[in-house]
Amino acid sequence: MIRYSFITILLLLASFVIQQFIPAFTGLSHSRILLVQLVFLCCAVTVGQPTMLLLAFLGGFLWDAQCALGPHGGSLEVYTHPVESMRFGYSILLFGGMGFLMQGIQPLFKQGKWQFSALLSGIAVFLYLISEYAMINFIRGEFVLTRATVYQMAHTAVLTMLFSPIVFWLLFSIAALCDHSINPEAGRKRRRAH
Amino acid sequence: MKPLNLIALLLFLGGAVWALTRSDRAVREIQGAYYKAMTPFLKSGSVIEAKARLFLEETKHSKELEAELETIKPEIGRLRLFESRCRELENENAQLRHALDFKKSTHFDVVAASVIRRNPTTWWQTVEIDAGETRGIGIERAVLSNDGLVGKIDRVDKERSTVLLLTDEKCQVAARVEGSPEVGILSGQRGASDGEPLLRLKYLSQNAAVRPGQRVFTTGRGGLFQANILLGTIESVEKGAFDSEALVRPSVNFADLGSVFVALPKES
Repeated sequence: MIRYSFITILLLLASFVIQQFIPAFTGLSHSRILLVQLVFLCCAVTVGQPTMLLLAFLGGFLWDAQCALGPHGGSLEVYTHPVESMRFGYSILLFGGMGFLMQGIQPLFKQGKWQFSALLSGIAVFLYLISEYAMINFIRGEFVLTRATVYQMAHTAVLTMLFSPIVFWLLFSIAALCDHSINPEAGRKRRRAH
Repeated sequence: MKPLNLIALLLFLGGAVWALTRSDRAVREIQGAYYKAMTPFLKSGSVIEAKARLFLEETKHSKELEAELETIKPEIGRLRLFESRCRELENENAQLRHALDFKKSTHFDVVAASVIRRNPTTWWQTVEIDAGETRGIGIERAVLSNDGLVGKIDRVDKERSTVLLLTDEKCQVAARVEGSPEVGILSGQRGASDGEPLLRLKYLSQNAAVRPGQRVFTTGRGGLFQANILLGTIESVEKGAFDSEALVRPSVNFADLGSVFVALPKES
């Protein structure tokens, strides 16, 4: 269990490195695969709440460290209405929220129905993006939602979701290597069937 | 709720509040540490990426080459390779000449840099360039291309920097319209990452005498950008109740950014 949790942390860190080299799909409304979020979501459904919260903190913290923009600068006499930035650390709360959402269907995952979790990972990514966009609108004022933005969010969610079976396969393999069962009820059922 | 879960939740919330209350300076330090840890991966990744691109280019026409190789003697193949190398050098030479001309035509010192990659963010428009502190680059320096203003430096490492593109809503530029007394603030538009994004020139006077086709330049006021840098061309004008706004097509093609130039302060 401890070994598995430790490896999920390493996996999340590795996803940050890989994310750097995943380009945006310009033909699909500039959408991209959010690997960091996907790895976190898939891990969140396989671990207990304390580990999920640790992963959420780590994921959100590093994501903001990667993306946060600096202050506008320049003379306030000229730039009288500087555009507000998102506060560093907001992603921690978003990651936490997504993690709790994934843990909501943990009983299904433990029964071996990982497909529901894969589907929910896409929904969670969409909700993550829409919450982030709503926060930007709230902080900067003037609600703007273009069709291109909706497509960008939808395409990103679908593209990310398509890769979830690979991450789940990886997690099952890691769990097997660590002699840890991430879906114990499914294992019991299989043993009974044999 | 289990006691362990409750403790974990309280620790999580405490950590989140701690992160949310960090100052700008502390955030910059955290970012510096993050990118320092990431640099070896980014460097080796860039090398692999370049090799992979080269490999793909080489294998792109492998079938055609195979057919050719069967018919053409090895000596001709060798000469073709030599010729392609010459062309490559010719292109490189032309690019460098172009860069040199640009450097001569500007009224301030510039540092040439290449765009390495686009940063993996959904809502912010940023790119990374291969020049940093060691070449005299500092934050908030203007970044230009042969066609006009690209953006400004947002974050600097020793050998790399992050550029906030003009198409981002957060990148504001004090701008003037050519042939008119109108000045305003130009910035990118929220949710306009698709296709060729237009910029929005705000705070023009209510009856602004501006028309499509007029060019927009930096004013040089505000302490961020030098004066008279081309920003774009007016596409349309929207009259409001108290002021007017104009949509501006950027002069720079942001989808095809290769080489850029970072403006240095006068004293350097």
